[in-house]
Amino acid sequence: MNGAPDLELDTAWMGRMGEWGTTVRPGKRGLTLEDIRIGGYGELPEESDNMSGRPRGAAERPEAFRIGGYTVRSKREIWLENATFLYEEALQRQWSSATDIPWETIEPLPDDIEEAECALCTFFNEVEFVAGDVPARWVANISPDFFEARNVLLAQVQDEARHMDVFRKRALANGGGLTRVTGATSGFVGGIDLSRDFTEMSSRMHVSGEGAVLSMFRMGELVGQNPAEKRMYRLCAQDEARHVAFGIMHLRYLHATAPDRHEEIEAYLDEAENLSLTGGTNPAGPQAETSEALAILLGGGKQHYDEGFRILLAIRKRQLKEYMQRVKSAGFGERFENGRSPVPGRIAALC
Amino acid sequence: MTQASRVKKLTDSVSHIEVSPPRLQWMGHSRQWGTRVKKGEHGLRLGDLNVGIYGEIPQHWEDQSRRPRGAADLPGMPPLPYHLRSKHQLWADSAADLYEEAIQHRWIPATDIPWSELSPLPDDVERAMCQVLTELMQAANAELESITYWQEQMSYGYHEVKQFLAVAALTCARHIDAFRKRCLANGGGLGLESRGRMNRAILESRGGWTEAVVYIYLLRGFHVQNQYRLLLAHAHNAAEREIFANCLADHSRHMSYALDHLKYAITQQASQAAIIQTLLSLGESTLARDIQEPVQRSALAIVFGGGVEGGRQEGMATWRAMVRQSIHDYLDACEWLGIKRNMIQRRLNALLPPDEQLVPTERG
Repeated sequence: MNGAPDLELDTAWMGRMGEWGTTVRPGKRGLTLEDIRIGGYGELPEESDNMSGRPRGAAERPEAFRIGGYTVRSKREIWLENATFLYEEALQRQWSSATDIPWETIEPLPDDIEEAECALCTFFNEVEFVAGDVPARWVANISPDFFEARNVLLAQVQDEARHMDVFRKRALANGGGLTRVTGATSGFVGGIDLSRDFTEMSSRMHVSGEGAVLSMFRMGELVGQNPAEKRMYRLCAQDEARHVAFGIMHLRYLHATAPDRHEEIEAYLDEAENLSLTGGTNPAGPQAETSEALAILLGGGKQHYDEGFRILLAIRKRQLKEYMQRVKSAGFGERFENGRSPVPGRIAALC
Repeated sequence: MTQASRVKKLTDSVSHIEVSPPRLQWMGHSRQWGTRVKKGEHGLRLGDLNVGIYGEIPQHWEDQSRRPRGAADLPGMPPLPYHLRSKHQLWADSAADLYEEAIQHRWIPATDIPWSELSPLPDDVERAMCQVLTELMQAANAELESITYWQEQMSYGYHEVKQFLAVAALTCARHIDAFRKRCLANGGGLGLESRGRMNRAILESRGGWTEAVVYIYLLRGFHVQNQYRLLLAHAHNAAEREIFANCLADHSRHMSYALDHLKYAITQQASQAAIIQTLLSLGESTLARDIQEPVQRSALAIVFGGGVEGGRQEGMATWRAMVRQSIHDYLDACEWLGIKRNMIQRRLNALLPPDEQLVPTERG
């Protein structure tokens, strides 16, 4: 190549590599991210100074550009102990809305039931939009030193894309169509997507928001009118459970490592219990239009609305109990004993 | 337990509660009732849903709420910061199909790679492979960080693109995952971090998603694609073959979206071709410096040559041929897009054989 720059082979970098001599073997679950957390490669910094985006454990290069712009650099701000498990499970449990749902089992439904199902699907599109947009926004802000947690968020973004996709497909597959949006996820201050702190966001989105939706998806056997819908809710519940687990495990880690933030977390939970769980973002919440649609689906038509609504109340009670269990598991259960939380009172009112 | 007994058990404790009559204000608002999309031989795909008003993809989407395309509006909702609201800023006709393809072609580094097929390599080759993968990890990281930065700013009038990019970002994470596992599974480790010139150009490309696409895919994408191709050809075992074959297929899908989008943007926006020309004039120099960077260049040559000795002649010759191919692929794509590069930056030009060189420019 005449006129080409001098391109001699350079081998000086061979003496400037990361920790050498690592040999990891696959276990019975293959070669997982947990398996490769060994030696220096498994050591996570409490505070990350990695601003060049290098993979954790790679050798530093003094002249590398500081292009990361990462704002989440403390382990306690982002970490959870089971991130590798949640990520690997997410990859194992990916599914396709095009081919894994038995769409052929959908039969024409009475108009009121079809419209109720379509209203619910329209609503789920809105909320899945939030759960996709928000984690995506945080990914580029998190130091790649904590890539395991980042990977779980990326898997969530893909899960939510598939959820939007499956609910849109259901709305357009059976003689219905999308209905009117609820607006429950618009730009209200204090909402999930306007949070400026990762843990604040996670407590709102994963713990209270997705927690409430998870309880709903788990009732898919009752809400679904045919095998396609039942499967759709079952698969979505499986994904949603991972997202909720992320939030709970992150809160648990924060509880154990950051006592100075306990009161702040309690304040987020106060908000969630007074707003998210009762407001429009909870499809079964008392202020949600979707509650009526759910009652029609659960009862089997407008004529059985009262019966359906009573099932919905039972679901609401279950939502609250599951929420309490999750918060207790994260280490913040005292609020249910000391009178701070309104949730026990709400459960009592439903008994 | 039967469904009836389950329901009874559920509702026993709330049977005394009086139920208010429903208001049903949410009913009767559908903009197009009676839609019934049937699945085809490949299932019920995202693109199949684009019928009637649901398939009307607007040139501009004013709505800054999370209203799904085709749903009825609820006036008075506070806006969210969706800044990419014009079709030419992100659209590609192939996005829906590429999304479904990506979902179907998913693979799992933990279990789909035959890790037990790895066997010890000579130290210089193992070091070179680990170094190459460390750099590729950072390239994939820049790609995913750029995608996720823009993704949340894209309006829901164009959900097909958002959905494709959601999968693309996880795909990049999967590449990083597979490369890291390969580095740590065979007696090696990670290498020296990237100098990061192109990564910097990509991450600092904040003018718009189209501009980021120019740098990630049009300018650097072919170089990454050809590295995967050559690494596949020089794979030492079935595990490496599987990794690079999957990465090549994934990356090619990303390139398809990118070129489709750029073609659309150029056709729809009068000034776009000139903007891309300027970006390329500036970026070519950065790419050329990255390509010539001694660490990655030498590591690739050692892999291609089977060791340091083979790397000096055969490996470097393969590397030169790969770079030549990448530049030609890039120039061909530019021509296809209607932004023919009559002059290219002199550093990039110098990487072509003399009889293939174009008019060099100092710009950039």
